Amino acid sequence: MVSETGRRNFAEHVLPHLDDAYSLARWLCGDATDAEDVVQDACVRALKALEGGAPVERPRAWLLAIVRNAAYSWLGKNRPRAIVLAGGAEEAEARADALETGGSPSPEAALIEMADRATVAAAIDGLPLAFRETLVMREINGLSYRDISEATGAPIGTVMSRLARARALLAQKLGTAP
Amino acid sequence: MTRPGFEDRSLLLHAALDGELDAAGVIEMERLLAADPDLSAEYARLKALRETIRAKAPRERAPDSLRLRMMEIAETKQAPPREAKTPRWRDPPSWRSFAGAMAATVVATLGLQHLIASSNAPDTALQAIVSAHMRSQISGQPVDVVSTDRHTVKPWLAGKLPVAAEVVDLAEAGFPLAGGRIDIVSGAGVPTLVYKRRDHLISVTELRAERAEEATVPRHLAVGGYPVVRWSDNERAYVAVSDLSPTDLDAFVAAFRRAVAKERVGGGGGESAK
Repeated sequence: MVSETGRRNFAEHVLPHLDDAYSLARWLCGDATDAEDVVQDACVRALKALEGGAPVERPRAWLLAIVRNAAYSWLGKNRPRAIVLAGGAEEAEARADALETGGSPSPEAALIEMADRATVAAAIDGLPLAFRETLVMREINGLSYRDISEATGAPIGTVMSRLARARALLAQKLGTAP
Repeated sequence: MTRPGFEDRSLLLHAALDGELDAAGVIEMERLLAADPDLSAEYARLKALRETIRAKAPRERAPDSLRLRMMEIAETKQAPPREAKTPRWRDPPSWRSFAGAMAATVVATLGLQHLIASSNAPDTALQAIVSAHMRSQISGQPVDVVSTDRHTVKPWLAGKLPVAAEVVDLAEAGFPLAGGRIDIVSGAGVPTLVYKRRDHLISVTELRAERAEEATVPRHLAVGGYPVVRWSDNERAYVAVSDLSPTDLDAFVAAFRRAVAKERVGGGGGESAK
């Protein structure tokens, strides 16, 4: 049974952000049908939380945190390797070579702008999970650093360095295409 | 590029791009950019990257089927069935005959028309209107009568409903007419006009205003994730629903109100609307 309060809060806090939820899920799972399942699962969780009277201050960040968790559970079940790769070791490695990218030829802004849809999508898809989710939340969902920090549970400093790293990787891929 | 402070400056650059700097930070950043061509080239690249991502990997709309299911999650378990929308969603193929039956009922209950929209809470009516709009998008049949000509749509509606609907031509304002349909709101048939803007559809439903409502400024609401604008002129209330951007929807509402007002003044003789 869904209470009237739960229903109203759901309509107020969840339904307006469905597009954001879906977009994030798509980039995390990489598939439209799976994204629908993940969003549906997240919405059920969200409704339960609202029924329990959880106060929600920043609904979008709150919902995206739930979508992210749902997506991680889904990945854990269906793509366990993706999760393993998102561990700390990979990040340390990425950070180390972040300092080296300065040495390779700088990608051109003009070249970046010419990239087509498929190339951009493939480049984003190719990012390690932690970078990808941060980039998607910032550029596609339009979240602030604070909201991203809340949604991912990472400190703001980490959000900033992941974002910088994600952009460096993308610029490198798109700017030096064949 | 390993000079001290490189990473901090780089993060500052990203924060500037993301609008996360305070005024002092912005001034500092502008100073750095002016002094360092490498840094400003990097800034240009980041901006190009952002534009590219926004243009080529935009935020996607959740599929309507998903949106519907999510609305149902919160609604179906509720006690009183509202309107006739659940069967309409569940069983699209029979909907047309169902609508026909409802329209016939409406004609048979002429005398009750004045009760439209006054007996039920307004949000119930709004939800029914939004549901009808969503249903129309999913079924791929947004209209019952397809016509860009208001002189076709108006008599069609008039033949099915006891109240004469205002049908205005907004093609010049960039919103060509797509047709009309009859929606069921608070148990009665109401006229809904469908206009187009590029690939988007706008449904405008006309209701009897509660009491002799004065003309009211458009109110913006969100129902089920859809932007909705409600206003009233003379004795009629209107509800517009669309997935257009708020700016475009406002432009539509303004054009519609102007055209309707003109129609009234001109005694129905005016041909086109500005």
